[in-house]
Amino acid sequence: MSAVEISSVTKTFGDVTAVDNLSLTVPDGAVYGFIGPNGSGKSTTMRMIANIFYPDSGTIQVFGKARSGTRSADIGYLPEERGVYRKMKVRALLEFYGELRGGRNVTAQVNSWLDRVGLANRADDKVETLSKGMSQKVQFIATVIPEPKLLILDEPFTGLDPVSADSIRSAVIDMRKRGCTIILSTHDMGVAESLCDSIFMIFRGKKMLDGSLASIQASYGSDTIRVEVEGRAALGELPGIERINDLGQVQELRMTEGCDPQQVLHALASRARIASFSVVKPSLHDIFVRIAGPQPEEAPVE
Amino acid sequence: MNRILLIAKRDYLQTILSKAYLVGLVLVPLLIGASFLVTSLAVRGNAKDQHIAIIDHTGVAASTVIQSAEELSRRALSGPGVPNAPGGVRVMPRFIFEQVQPEADEKAQLLSLSDRIRKGELVLVVDISAEVLQPPDPGDAAAAKDLVRFYSNSSALNPSGLSLSSAVNDGLRRVRLSQLGIDPARAPEVLRDVPVVSVGLLTQDPATGKILGGEKTNAVQAAAVPIFLAVLLMVVVLAGSAPHLGAVAEDKMQRVFEMLLCSASSFELMMGKVLASLGTSLTSSIFYILAGLAVLAGMAVFGLAPLDLLPWFFVYLIADVVMLSAWSVALGSACSTPQDAQSLAFLLVLPIMIPMLMLTPILQQPNGALSTAMSFIPPFTPMIMLLRQAMPGGVPWWQPWVGLIGTIVFAAAVIWAAARIFRIGILSQGKAPKLAELAQWVVRG
Repeated sequence: MSAVEISSVTKTFGDVTAVDNLSLTVPDGAVYGFIGPNGSGKSTTMRMIANIFYPDSGTIQVFGKARSGTRSADIGYLPEERGVYRKMKVRALLEFYGELRGGRNVTAQVNSWLDRVGLANRADDKVETLSKGMSQKVQFIATVIPEPKLLILDEPFTGLDPVSADSIRSAVIDMRKRGCTIILSTHDMGVAESLCDSIFMIFRGKKMLDGSLASIQASYGSDTIRVEVEGRAALGELPGIERINDLGQVQELRMTEGCDPQQVLHALASRARIASFSVVKPSLHDIFVRIAGPQPEEAPVE
Repeated sequence: MNRILLIAKRDYLQTILSKAYLVGLVLVPLLIGASFLVTSLAVRGNAKDQHIAIIDHTGVAASTVIQSAEELSRRALSGPGVPNAPGGVRVMPRFIFEQVQPEADEKAQLLSLSDRIRKGELVLVVDISAEVLQPPDPGDAAAAKDLVRFYSNSSALNPSGLSLSSAVNDGLRRVRLSQLGIDPARAPEVLRDVPVVSVGLLTQDPATGKILGGEKTNAVQAAAVPIFLAVLLMVVVLAGSAPHLGAVAEDKMQRVFEMLLCSASSFELMMGKVLASLGTSLTSSIFYILAGLAVLAGMAVFGLAPLDLLPWFFVYLIADVVMLSAWSVALGSACSTPQDAQSLAFLLVLPIMIPMLMLTPILQQPNGALSTAMSFIPPFTPMIMLLRQAMPGGVPWWQPWVGLIGTIVFAAAVIWAAARIFRIGILSQGKAPKLAELAQWVVRG
């Protein structure tokens, strides 16, 4: 059974179509990554799944049930712009959020989570006294108590230091192991590649990508050369190269259709010393930029 | 419903356990008490000797006016509850007169006496004209003239001026009676005031046929009780509902609502806040009413307590708090910052301030057309109907019920409209919307 089934959903705000005839299936138990530029419709889609916004047309089913305005304890939602009552004490706040969603006492779960993320000694402090990282951990705990069957995280790692990010990432992986379906949005393509089973990209309200990383990359073929050369000037006007993505130490060259990598290698070897040369599938970052970045006529080959 | 109660419990405890609430709960009655004390002390402060110059152009009135003023002073000093002098409590000033003969240059004489007032030697100059013993018909506007003038540094409404005008008129009447041949010694007997009392209407018990009522109405009960109830209603309603305006805007700025919206609907969130307001207002009002009853019992005037009106007080309180707090939550949700909320505060205060501005005409004519009509306008019904009910004589039995039904229907409409504004407002960003936009939110939902 799919955890989320979105069918032909459209949502508009005034003259702006935020989500345009979107259909999407999120399998039960999967970690599904939502990517897309700012304002592309990720958060709106998540809000509709969380029942905060209602679609203008189309249907959304969660675990086989249509969203009808009722709240469900099975869904945990961490919005992108999140805040909690800063004057409340940590434990009281988490019990309030947990009881509000679950309708039952959650003290044991609160204590367990506070222990797990290292905040047990701050349980009786007011939220306003916590650091930003601690505060974000508290917000995350408020989302997962009681443990949901579907967890929606809108940019959960934004603003977190590596230690705090690892702590949240580890919690997400554990929840997935326990069968929780997770939808998360991110601007970090590394997170999407490493954490997600499937990736969905939305751009200007329309679905652009949907599937596993391997299947998405396969659809683009091995059209990328990753190269390290001495002197970047050697990369200028190479035959069969339509775009150069300078990553600093490494450069990614995108080949035109029908280009032979051997010809590129010869041409390059005649101009400069090559440290490494490999033909690879495009990275998710590159695919993202191809879809959402400036079009070729807007950004000519350097 | 459980979610509404959970949100209400959180907001209620957050409010009543805050220092601001606890301090305010005690401070408000203390401030009101202090204002009464200051007024009382100010009145007593004015009861010191008053040196007054009197210019008598009739040549015969001054001594009688002075005698009348002295009698007035003596009566005040031996009135009910006032111990006889010496050592008694002085409740009005003692007048010490200085009779001044009229001079040919009237203006120069008045200027000289004015200078003495400025120096503090005198507080007042009474100038009695020669025509004062044959005053024109009050209806004859053409002949109207200022026959007695009080020259002073203070307002014409100062307490000494008011009590002295009574003494001047009393003295002049005695002179006129004397000119008509009545013995001046019997003048006080002729002019003596008789007590006039207000009495409530009579009713007949339909069961026993017994005629009831016709009891004296107390002046304190007539004005103080309705004013106290109306002010108490205003204070607890505003204290319960107004804080939402800034608090909701603050929560919105802190992005609190979106996390909550996954667990509770916007309607549940709003009603939780409304219920919390109700709890806060009921807590405050019960505290004040119990304190008021204790004070009345302590002063041995517990009979003044309007116990029969308390159920209506609480019914109106609930209706008013529900209306205003829903409105307050909606307005707060439409704002992006607490500062934006301040600019909309007048929309919240209006339904409370208009009845307060109407207080005087309502107290003068509680069953007049204006008072009656305004008491049926739902936002004003709780305060104005309660005021009218608290006045001696009350209102026809059906009026509070009709007013209450109108208020309940209106409150339901306010909740419906507020919920639609709140649902859009808490997730909207940018500058605060104008009233027309709020109306659009209500219509479109």
